Formats: sequence, C-alpha cells, structure tokens
Amino acid sequence: MQLLDIKNLTIELTTPDGLIRAVDRVSLSMREGETRGLVGESGSGKSLIAKAIVGVLNKRWRVTADSFGWRGQELSNLPYEQQRKIIGRDVAMIYQEPSKSLDPTAAILDQLEEAIPDHRLEGPWWKRSYMRRRRAIALLHKVGIRDHQSVMQSYPYQLSEGICQKTMIAMAIAKDPKLLIADEPTTALETTTQAQLFRLLASFNQLKGMSILLISHELELIARYTQSLSVLYCGQLVEAGETASIIKQPYHPYTHALIKSVPGFQPNLPPKTPLYALPGSIPVFQHLPIGCRLGPRCPNARKECVKTPALERLHNHYYSCHFPLIGNKAP
Amino acid sequence: MIMYLLRRLFLLVFVFIALSVFAFSLAYLFPGDPLQNFTGLRQISPEQYALLTSEYQLDKNYILQYLAYLSRIFSGNWGMSFSSQQPLLQEMKMLLPATLELASYALLISFFIGIPIGILSAIKPDGVFSKLVSAVAVAGYSIPIFWWALLLIMLFSLGLGWLPTAGRIGVLYEINHVTGFMLLDILLAATQHQHEALLDALSHLILPTLVLATFPTTVMVRFTRDSILEVWEQSYIKAARAKGLSRGQVLYRHALRNALLPVIRQIGLQFSTLITLAMITEVIFSWPGIGRWLIDSIYQRNYPAIEAGLLVISTLVISVNMLTEILHTLFNPLARKR
Repeated sequence: MQLLDIKNLTIELTTPDGLIRAVDRVSLSMREGETRGLVGESGSGKSLIAKAIVGVLNKRWRVTADSFGWRGQELSNLPYEQQRKIIGRDVAMIYQEPSKSLDPTAAILDQLEEAIPDHRLEGPWWKRSYMRRRRAIALLHKVGIRDHQSVMQSYPYQLSEGICQKTMIAMAIAKDPKLLIADEPTTALETTTQAQLFRLLASFNQLKGMSILLISHELELIARYTQSLSVLYCGQLVEAGETASIIKQPYHPYTHALIKSVPGFQPNLPPKTPLYALPGSIPVFQHLPIGCRLGPRCPNARKECVKTPALERLHNHYYSCHFPLIGNKAP
Repeated sequence: MIMYLLRRLFLLVFVFIALSVFAFSLAYLFPGDPLQNFTGLRQISPEQYALLTSEYQLDKNYILQYLAYLSRIFSGNWGMSFSSQQPLLQEMKMLLPATLELASYALLISFFIGIPIGILSAIKPDGVFSKLVSAVAVAGYSIPIFWWALLLIMLFSLGLGWLPTAGRIGVLYEINHVTGFMLLDILLAATQHQHEALLDALSHLILPTLVLATFPTTVMVRFTRDSILEVWEQSYIKAARAKGLSRGQVLYRHALRNALLPVIRQIGLQFSTLITLAMITEVIFSWPGIGRWLIDSIYQRNYPAIEAGLLVISTLVISVNMLTEILHTLFNPLARKR
C-alpha cells in the first residue's frame, strides 16, 4: 500500500529579488515498510522537503504540491488543523544537530514524556504518570541507553551528541510513527555511533514495519541501508528507483558522476588515480540555470537541455534526462 | 553550585569594599573640613574638635581612618545631616521604604502587565495588536518621564480632579511609621478610618506608580516580545512542533521558559534605571522618599547626606543585581554549565 505519495512538490522562497524556486516539482512516493534514501549535495533541498512534509518550515517559504497522498487519503483537501493532527500522529522526524533540537532548559525525562501520546498509555488516569515514566524508560532501553536514570535527569548540554541523537530517536518512536524521517541523523556523530544508529533504524524498520526516509549526502551509507533511492540535484529530482539498480546502472549523468566519485563503488580503481568529478560547482540559488539545472555542468548536454526534462519511467526506475545513459553509453 | 555562590559572594564583598572606600574618600574630596563632612556637625568648638579628631582617628594615617569609618558604619553612627542636624541613619530609615514601595509596585506592574502583553504580541508578530503594542511601547520608552508626569497631573489632577498631585497620604490621616510601607502600615494601624485611609493612600499611589512603571513596562514588553520571537526560530521549537504538539503547548512548555530566562536578568539591569527614574518621580510628586531627599541634599551641599545616600542606594542596586544574577543561574541549567 502506498504510504506517502507527493506529486510535484514545489518550495519557493520569497526574496527581495523575487521568488526563488528551491525545490522544483519533486515527486516522492513511498510504500509501507520501505526505506528510501534521499541523496543530494548540500543545498539540493533535501532538508526542505523533509521539513515541508512535517510542516515546520517558516512562513518565508511557500510550499505547493499537486497532491499529497497519505495512506490513500488526500491531505491537501483537509483543513490545516486536521493535516497537522494526522502528520503529528503518524510522522516523526530526527534532525542533524540533536543537541540543538532538544530544549536546553528542560530535563530529558520531561521532553521524552511529552512525546508519548496519551492514547499509547493504558490503564486508569491515576496510573498515567507512572505508566508514562515506565514507557519513557522502556523507550530509552529500546534505543540502547542502559543507564536511563542519569540520562533522564540530565540536561541536553550534559550529554554527548550520540546520546542526544538516541534520545531524539526515542522521542520519535514514542508514538510508533508510520514514517520516520531522518534528516542527516549522523553528521555530528563518530563512526561507531553512526553504525549503531543505522542498525537501530534498520531494526525498527524490520521489526515494526516503520518506513524510513533517510536523508544524507553520503551515497555509500544510503546504498547500504536503503531499498530505494531518490537523487536530487539543485532542487530537481534527477533519478529515483531501487537502490541496487540505480547503483548498478544509473540513467542520469549526475547520478553516474555521483557514483563514480565514490571510491567504494569502484573495486578495481588503481591507487592514486584522481577521482571523477563534474566540472564546476553547484549553482547559487540566485543564479539557477533554466531547464535542466545540471545543464552547464553536464558532460553530454545539448541544445534540448534548456527545457526541463519530464520524469520518465523504465520499469521501476524514474529519471529526468533528455539523453539518459541507457545501453551503457558512458559519457 | 555552592562554589558559584561563594564566588559571587566573594565578588560582592570586594564591590562593597570598593564602594565604602569611595564613600570614605568623598569626605576628603568634598569641599570643607573632613571632620565636618564625617560628623555632619556644623559648629564645632576647639575642645570638641580635638576630642572628635582623636575619636575619628583623623590624626592617624588613612588606613586607620578608613577602618574607624567602617566600624562607625557598622555600629550605625553615620553622622548628622547638615541641614536637619538629625542622625542620617534614622532619617534614611524613614525615607527608604517609601522609595522601595514605589519602585516595587512599578516593578510589579512591569511584570504583570509588561510580560503578558509581550507574550501576546509575539503570538502574531505581524498582527494589528502587535503593531499597536510596538508603537505604544516605543512611545512609552522614549517619552521623558517628567513631561509624562506633568501631562498626567494636568489631566487627572488639575483637569478632572480625580487624583491628588503630591504626597503619600492626605493630611487628615495619621499613620504611625511601623514598616515604612504605607499600605502595610495602614493595615497594621487598625484605626477606625482604616478603609478611608487605605483608599486615600491608593489614590496618592496611582499616579507616581503609573509614571514610574511606564519605562520598565515598555522595556519588558519589547524585551519579552523579541525574546520569544527569537526562541521561536530555534530548532528545538521546530522539533517540538514535529512531535505533534500544538502551538499553545509548544509556547507553554518550551518557548516561555527559554524566552523568560533572560527577562529575569533584565530586571537586575533595569533596576538602576528604575531607581534613577524614581528620584525624578519623587521630586515631581513630592513623594517623601530617599531620591527626593538625595536631590535636596545635593542642592543644599549637604555632604554627609550625599555620602550616606550614595552608599545606601548603590548597595541596594548592587544587591538586587547580584540577586537576579543568582536567580537566573538557579533557573537556567545552561548558565550552570560554567
């Protein structure tokens, strides 16, 4: 069953120079129990999409979409409060800077307890606070924090980033969400903690069927932990499909370049060879190229690329390029 | 935490020592004879002069003089006032509560009106209410207090005749000085006209409190509003919103505490301004407080009184500052980090 189905999500920023389209008609769909990766360079609009789904962008951003389907229900027809209620109940999010996402003046216990919704607690009302505490401790154990007593009494500044991120995950899973959005959850963490967290997320996915949208710029990590993949460049969706098939055979020149730039994907790379990279750098938002935004950097760009290519489909593999790399035509 | 308190107290001791050194040196820095400035006596006969010089240790070096000065301060012998020839400490004991009463009511108003209005106007920062509040706050912030006081007197006292212009209570009522706080004293007095006296004292209190409260209230409104708007942009607020909490819950549980912590510190910073403004208010409304007394003393070149008034007011301001600082640290886990 389709869990999430967003069609043509557009996010624009009003600036003195006019409207800037930071995310340009991106479609995103997820099945229940799926783990999907969202890859792109920094500034490609990954976090914007996540924040738009959860609904925490500020008023400066204008969010529009053709449709926002959630478990077969069209959310854009519902009133705002209803949307927030559904999203607040079913979607949880964890952030890239865990210590900044926790209230600095509240103890962990208070913050964890308020994330536990009332309908998750059984028993009569006079037992509620006791149950709540029990559940908070259980949640901490679930995310691998054994020393719950001292963590619960601590303030965020007293804890390491790894513990903070674990408590953030505990808060996120407190309501048993259908979808967990992890927005670069491990950027501030060291490698061993990173691996722990990904294993944790993977176990929630397998045991509870929780869908995970994993946002990152590290293709290697994403390839290891996700089933399907969406690649963004500069606010445009360039390619989407199953992770394995995209890594094996990318259709879009950008994905191709991205994969070639990671040494881990090229087992027989001789030592001291320069890594492959596209010329130039990601354009600033004030000077976006028209048409395909990769145009000026693309090795096989042609005249047609000034028109934005439509999203095309080959089996379960979507790509938006006029000249896809089908039939092993390497650029 | 205990270390922190000890450090603060240590600092406080040094500040007070510096303050007393300054107050002591004023006797020499002011024109006239140091002995007159210390004792506050105007006519001193030669025999008395020799006696007092040895008693005040003025024939010894400065350090011994200073120590003698300190022991006099602690034993309560602060000297006489030039103008009234009354002991200064007794005089100030009568006057200080009046100032404290006025200042504390103004501070309470700024608390219970300023902060809620600031919160309300932060809820919709672009709304009509918020714009109106901002405009009024800027006006209240920048209006000269004496002019504002005169305007209010013109309207309510001279024009409408609703409120008296001067004093703490009408001359009809005789209230014993017990605590020095007028409302408290009336309640303690238990005379037969207690109710009328209370109303009369309140009507005397309204205008000065209103005038004095204008500045701190507008400061509080602006500060609370800006503080909340700033906190509202933080990522932990977004995270709390993403937990599924409503706007009200997020405001109550996370935004308010984080936004109001700096407000506590703001009270300490505003207190010195408040006391300065209280002096002006006291002069305008003939309020028998320490501020008016100090200003009169300055006009009369009443050096012992200036010295003593300075010592008392600075001690008050510094203590309040330190107290709010400690309170802020108590409530803010982040400040305890250091």
